[in-house]
Amino acid sequence: MSFFRITLLRSAIGLPRRSTDVLKALGLKKRMATVFHAVSPSVAGQIMRVKELVSVEEVDRRLTKQEVHLQRKPDPGYYVEKRAEQERSEVNGLKSRPGARDR
Amino acid sequence: MFKPTNALFGGLLWKTPWRLSSPQKARQRKRLRAVDSVVDTLSAALARNGQSAKAVERWYAEMPREEEMLPKDKYTLFDKKEKSYRKSIHKLPKWTRVSQRVNPPGF
Repeated sequence: MSFFRITLLRSAIGLPRRSTDVLKALGLKKRMATVFHAVSPSVAGQIMRVKELVSVEEVDRRLTKQEVHLQRKPDPGYYVEKRAEQERSEVNGLKSRPGARDR
Repeated sequence: MFKPTNALFGGLLWKTPWRLSSPQKARQRKRLRAVDSVVDTLSAALARNGQSAKAVERWYAEMPREEEMLPKDKYTLFDKKEKSYRKSIHKLPKWTRVSQRVNPPGF
């Protein structure tokens, strides 16, 4: 079971209403929003309608909102020594878990 | 609301250049490749599951890839009103968000 990770990069402002409706159906409400959908012909057809606006990756599982946020979060440039061990294990856990398949 | 500008006050004043600049062309190629990669991802994912989608197959049957396209088709499109039957692609409304790849044969 794999999933499409779909990110809206360009807005559909000024495009035909069908494009806006397809984005709504996919659950993409604003730019840089990320949604996950199971791989299926119907989802593929929906993505084809808005292929100029989105970026798509195939991933093994749905990431939670927090995980997507953590991937986008920049490195703060510091760490708290008391929590260093715990933070390192969290980061390693996030890296070792299979996220993207084709990168 | 009417805003008086030289372009709207008649006369021959074109604010949009008639041709694309080279960075504009580079970005156009980048967008074409981005669309190609989206379609490739879809088709690879479906093939792995033993499925197929009509829209994806149709795209492969009808549309050329970025590297297969002629520069003429990447940056210009057919227009019957032009002397050379071609105008620059940035005259197409929403040209950065639509796929315009094929033109009538012979033009």
